[in-house]
Amino acid sequence: MTDSSQKSLDELLAGLPRDLAPPRELWPRIAARLAPLPRRSRPILLAAAAAIVGACIAGALTWSVLRGRQAPDAPQLAMVAPRFDEPRDARYVAARDSLESTFRERLALLDPGTRAKIEASLAVIRQAHEDIRNALGADPASPVLEQLWQSTWHDELDLYEHVVQATQSPFTRT
Amino acid sequence: MDGAAEPTDVVVAAAGGDLHAFEQLYRQFSPRIYGLCLRLTGQREAAEDCTQESFVAAWRALHGFEQRSRFSTWLHRIAVRTVLARRRGLRVEYEVGEPHAGLPEVADPAGDGMPHDLERAIAALPDGARDVLVLVGIYGFSHAEAAAALGTAEGTCKAQLHRARGLLAAALGMVER
Repeated sequence: MTDSSQKSLDELLAGLPRDLAPPRELWPRIAARLAPLPRRSRPILLAAAAAIVGACIAGALTWSVLRGRQAPDAPQLAMVAPRFDEPRDARYVAARDSLESTFRERLALLDPGTRAKIEASLAVIRQAHEDIRNALGADPASPVLEQLWQSTWHDELDLYEHVVQATQSPFTRT
Repeated sequence: MDGAAEPTDVVVAAAGGDLHAFEQLYRQFSPRIYGLCLRLTGQREAAEDCTQESFVAAWRALHGFEQRSRFSTWLHRIAVRTVLARRRGLRVEYEVGEPHAGLPEVADPAGDGMPHDLERAIAALPDGARDVLVLVGIYGFSHAEAAAALGTAEGTCKAQLHRARGLLAAALGMVER
């Protein structure tokens, strides 16, 4: 490549428009995800911590219920671990939806008492998720809250997975 | 990197939690950030996602922005990192085969009137070469700035730019035999 052709190429590149308007209005979606800037407060962190402790208790409760019912050795998770920091990832959403769908089907097969306990656990996890989301809204840069936020996704999926695995036929269990 | 006036007052207001001020920043900088993301990702949808993520990340980190660098430089760097993070987590197929992927066509530098899609040629470059070419060649980053944004050495950056120029020249038929 000669100096003149390199110069032409550089001029060509420099002449490209730097600004390209997004084809769609993105601001509403961005604004919906913005919360007031960090106002670090102990009560919020405590609330988030309490919520995640609640979620863990709920998960443990559910697991103990299912463990007592059947499934002596739960096999390893068959699902490929998604990226929990990108819950909008299409593959993640599809995998989660599929697992939740199976979870709902299996849940309906359980006796009412067990089902009620599992649904209560799920409600606790989701409440924790909501609490942490609110806390993140007040302190979006907090790595601790980010970690807690991700862990509630794990908790929810773990619950689905435990129910699905525990209610799977012994002949089809992986 | 950017000769436009820095909206210092608006940045300060946004850093103080003024959402309206932040929207002003979005209005001012989103075409630049979207353009950067589009050229780095080669996909409209990915570019939209990265633009969104960049502004959300900027909002979250704005309280810690100390104005030691220009806001635009800081925002560009967030966008580059967002694209790189996305690329690490999710491989994408480039839309280079799609004729109207949102990238403008440009005229042939030789002036023979034959249209060349320079943008598509850029999108077809290997990741490393394209990243440097886009940052340095189009968006005016210095090699040091590009290296810092890409998390690579300045020497690597220069080598990638040389490679990118060669590939691009070949793709555009600018290589003299």
